[in-house]
Amino acid sequence: MIDNMEAPIIEAVDIIKTFSGGVVALDHFSLTVQRGETVVVIGPSGSGKSTFLRCLNGLEEIDGGSITIDRIPLDRHRSNRLFIRREVGMVFQSFNLFPHMTVRKNIDLAQMHVRKKTRAQAEEKTLALLKKVGISEKVDRYPHELSGGQQQRVAIARALAMEPKVMLFDEATSALDHEMIGEVLEVMRKLAAEGMTMVVVTHEMGFAREVGDRIVFMEAGKIVEEAPTRQFFEAPRKERTKAFLRQIL
Amino acid sequence: MLAHQVRIDMLSRKNLLAYGKFLLFSGVAIWLVTAGARGANYRWQWYRVPQFFFSSEGTGPLLQGLLTTLGISALSLICALFLALITALFRLSRSFTARTLARAYLELIRNTPLLIQIFFVYFVLSPILNIGAFASAVLALSLFEGSYAAEILRAGIVSLPRGQWEAAHSLGLGLFETYRSVILPQALRRVLPPLAGQAVSLIKDSSLVSTIAIYDLTMQGQKIVSETFLAFEIWFTIAAIYLVLTFALSMAVRFLERRISEKHSWWIGAHP
Repeated sequence: MIDNMEAPIIEAVDIIKTFSGGVVALDHFSLTVQRGETVVVIGPSGSGKSTFLRCLNGLEEIDGGSITIDRIPLDRHRSNRLFIRREVGMVFQSFNLFPHMTVRKNIDLAQMHVRKKTRAQAEEKTLALLKKVGISEKVDRYPHELSGGQQQRVAIARALAMEPKVMLFDEATSALDHEMIGEVLEVMRKLAAEGMTMVVVTHEMGFAREVGDRIVFMEAGKIVEEAPTRQFFEAPRKERTKAFLRQIL
Repeated sequence: MLAHQVRIDMLSRKNLLAYGKFLLFSGVAIWLVTAGARGANYRWQWYRVPQFFFSSEGTGPLLQGLLTTLGISALSLICALFLALITALFRLSRSFTARTLARAYLELIRNTPLLIQIFFVYFVLSPILNIGAFASAVLALSLFEGSYAAEILRAGIVSLPRGQWEAAHSLGLGLFETYRSVILPQALRRVLPPLAGQAVSLIKDSSLVSTIAIYDLTMQGQKIVSETFLAFEIWFTIAAIYLVLTFALSMAVRFLERRISEKHSWWIGAHP
């Protein structure tokens, strides 16, 4: 049992991902994430950060290597893939809320159809989650009636409703106006503090520094440098990292 | 505020112009017909038309024909939509067999004349399947309109942003649930106007089933004309009935759209 708890929750080994046209998005990329850890992935655009996240829950097929989530391999088996889709929550840059459903329905949907909860059980969870992300009053609104920041918080609540073991954040604040970034980061901060395992792709260095346990800096589908947060920002080893940090800080 | 006002002015001017044109053209058309009739020494006998709606025994042949047309159209519409849904899903399926099947059906139906299809179903299939003329008509019309509706539906489905699929995927929703709860409601909303257009086509195309001895509106018209020689009056009347039917359908769909958008604001909001 203890052994079980200590096994890494994400193990990505030697992943290769090539897009049609020959662009290599991930080039023998390996990363291990422990339970409760928050790993922040940074790097210039086009470096393969988002592709990596999308491979982790099967949105993209990998061309080589292996991915294991909570000891279940992401392979050809339907049941394994389904398990991983259920256990890995994802938050997108463009929110991707279902526009024809109220906030309540957005969050209820998967609970009822995937987790097979009754409506009452789902509703209870939905209301609790909306309270947690601070928008209880919008429960019967449609997504387009909400601000970007509110929509993204609903999207986080929707992913959390599945009680995932891992949460992936794919540039969750990049599409937001400046004044709304804070409210979304605040929710993510809270999640990390609660011990949620998170892999976060972001350009928010302040957030990375404050919340990340570990920083992964990638370029051209490879890891340039990977280090505990403090060390990464205060004593980067690679020249490329130093140059990148000088540019953005 | 000012720009808004100008826009409204332009709109109403455009409308006024449109009404003007409409009146002008319909005036010319009516004049042409009456002049033509006078030239041909045609004696209008409109007073003889109502008896074909309501005869002494009850409903007249035109009303019966109208009911037949309505029945065939309604049944065919339901079957066509069902067929369209299946075909669209097959077209988008991962299975090669399903895709090929859907393609074969679409190419076959869309590249042959409807009249030939009606004959084929009636003279070739109906003895085999042991179905009557009415069922043959419904089958042929469903197959035909279903193929067009399938492509409309498919277009609506693929027009949705990929993020909708990805969100459903990452929530663990299955394919069926994703289509049912996420994709189809949005796709249907987008293609309601062209689907309504297809339904209008269906009503008009249903007049072709008169060729296989179904006493629909058109067939009743033919019969009356051949017995009474009231060609002008009867065909004008029948054209007017089709026009009222299709126009009412268009209006009903528009009304439906407006009702839904009043009740559910996403109906407008979802419009990109």
